[in-house]
Amino acid sequence: MARTSERFPGVEWIGDTGVFIKIDEKKCTGCGNCLKVCLGGCFEIENKLARIRSLDECMECASCWYVCGEEAIDFSWPPGGTGYRSDWG
Amino acid sequence: MQQEYDVVVIGAGFGGPVAAKKCAGAGLKTLLLERSENPGEKVVSGLTIPIYGFLFGPPFIRDGNPPVERPVDGIRNYVIYDVKAGDIEIVEMRIPRPLSPIFAFGYNAYCKPFCTWEAEQAVNAGAELRTCTTVIDFIKEDGYIKGVVTDNGETIRSRIVINSEGSQGILAVKAGVRDKYPPQAISLADTYDYDCPKEVIDRVFGHTLRFCWGFDELKIAPPLGHGNGLMSWPYRNSIHWMQDQCLAMGDGYVPNLRRLFDEYHENITTQLPWWRDEIAPSAKLRARMWEGFEIFVGLDDRLRNMPNYTDGMILVGDTAGLESTGLCDGVPTAWFSADIAADVAIEAIRAMDFSAKFLERYNRRIKAHTIIQWAITNKGRWNLRKAQESHDRKELRARINHQFGPGILTHAGTPLVKSLLHAIRKDPLVIMKWARMFPRYYYNWEHECSSGDRRPIDKQKKRSSGIGWVLFDSLVILFSPVNWAAAWLLEPLAGVVNPLIKVFLPAVELGLGVSIRMEPLFSPVTRWMIDSVKQADPSTFSVSK
Ligand SMILES: Cc1cc2nc3c(=O)[nH]c(=O)nc-3n(C[C@H](O)[C@H](O)[C@H](O)COP(=O)(O)OP(=O)(O)OC[C@H]3O[C@@H](n4cnc5c(N)ncnc54)[C@H](O)[C@@H]3O)c2cc1C
Repeated sequence: MARTSERFPGVEWIGDTGVFIKIDEKKCTGCGNCLKVCLGGCFEIENKLARIRSLDECMECASCWYVCGEEAIDFSWPPGGTGYRSDWG
Repeated sequence: MQQEYDVVVIGAGFGGPVAAKKCAGAGLKTLLLERSENPGEKVVSGLTIPIYGFLFGPPFIRDGNPPVERPVDGIRNYVIYDVKAGDIEIVEMRIPRPLSPIFAFGYNAYCKPFCTWEAEQAVNAGAELRTCTTVIDFIKEDGYIKGVVTDNGETIRSRIVINSEGSQGILAVKAGVRDKYPPQAISLADTYDYDCPKEVIDRVFGHTLRFCWGFDELKIAPPLGHGNGLMSWPYRNSIHWMQDQCLAMGDGYVPNLRRLFDEYHENITTQLPWWRDEIAPSAKLRARMWEGFEIFVGLDDRLRNMPNYTDGMILVGDTAGLESTGLCDGVPTAWFSADIAADVAIEAIRAMDFSAKFLERYNRRIKAHTIIQWAITNKGRWNLRKAQESHDRKELRARINHQFGPGILTHAGTPLVKSLLHAIRKDPLVIMKWARMFPRYYYNWEHECSSGDRRPIDKQKKRSSGIGWVLFDSLVILFSPVNWAAAWLLEPLAGVVNPLIKVFLPAVELGLGVSIRMEPLFSPVTRWMIDSVKQADPSTFSVSK
């Protein structure tokens, strides 16, 4: 069930997290701040707006939520027992 | 199905279990909820827990047996002016041998084993722990928080909620108790964990943390004053490595951290001589992860004074914005606040009053807590940006010295001495517990290094009969009225400690420098102290409950 990533060793992602970060297209201005602070590369710009590329390497730090001045990012935690985990934090 | 508890605690990180244990210990029906499968496995940290957390924090941690990775004796700062030319100055602040490494400045730990241990203590005290459970909302009635709603669709009622959900405070924001922090106040920590043989770590680091600082344009560490530079922590047989930077600069500009962190990491690990030559050949990357923390919340009056309680709920630790702005430690303040929150919850249940008016006493106690207030209002790290502005070597060195070198004593002296006297005034016999804590922690660490076993001490609750300890205990008991009176008299005068140290700082620095140089002379004593602890019967360090 657990996924790992070559780019980020020592970390596992468990189960099905579903889409726990959502972008409100109406509010997004396409500034790209979320891309700049997301070390997991979860975002991309398409048609001048941010969208979720993949949450596969998300470490649930919420940096995207903090830097979105337009409140276009709706951040919630994935369901209990799913998502990022590590023995080395 | 609806369930009812006296207290629901959200989050089994560092703070939550402390509150849960105390509430359960007081006979309250307590539920500890955690979204991860095992406590601490979603928490990312440094992690050196400074000694004041152990000395003045929850007794079960001080007198217990938590899993630590290495006792730490202090910080060695590398102030880098030109890395390629080797123009690097060292500023060091550490407890000299033979006192260290037994008398430690703090303890390094991994989050998962430490938080799991804490949660076990809460369960042993009678709390119920439920993992794999994300709280998604609160039950609200008549403006009061009356429990929580989980992602399994359960509604769990409680008289009071203690919220220890960590720095993001998603639930606290959602409940309208606090605002989301601005990105200037949040630092994103890019963390690496390296496997490295213990002999190499012993030789290169010993028990000392290594921090690196340099002017911004060198790009060897995150910008001065907008983060922490670079910090590396020696663990048992691994090294934790962390660089962190605020999500936005003062003017709101959001830097491309994805690119910059890779660049800093590459620069420092290939250019810094000691890493490149002594560590890199034997270190192997084991993990990389990241997390944000509320680094500068305490320095903004509005953010610092946001509510930390509401009708039916108390916020603790990072959720209450208690990350230290100076040393970047948040564990001691999470412990202190969780302990206070539990006291207030117990009082509220006795009085059957969960109103914000009643819970205001929590805020008062947080504001009166000497170490919490010192930790969250300390501007030393923030002010590093002034050294970047002046671009003056002397200023940079002086500011590093003030915050991470011996100069720290000019602002930490009073809070530490005051807390020490306060603790002795409350219980003069605490000295016996402190005296046992250091060798016990050291013994445990050594034991685990050599045998790989989990620490054996918890099982041995026998009281010490060692003659030395009997003598020591007798003296502490004999002098306890004197110690109590001295503490009572001196505590109000602790304010003079900082100015005094300021006046005598050059002498303090000289003394420290000389004692560090003289360490080789003391090696037989150091060896003897370490051997005596290693070979002792571990029950001599345990504290009777
Ligand atoms: C990279 C880094 C380095 C650090 N270094 C140090 C250091 O060297 N020394 C030091 O003292 N401090 C350090 N800190 C700070 C320290 O880790 C925190 O201050 C401390 O963990 C705060 O404890 P807490 O209980 O408030 O929150 P946390 O320890 O973060 O615990 C929060 C818990 O709540 C759980 N949770 C969150 N939301 C929910 C929900 N909705 N439902 C159920 N469970 C939930 C989380 O999974 C987590 O287990 C560092 C922090 C970081 C990020």
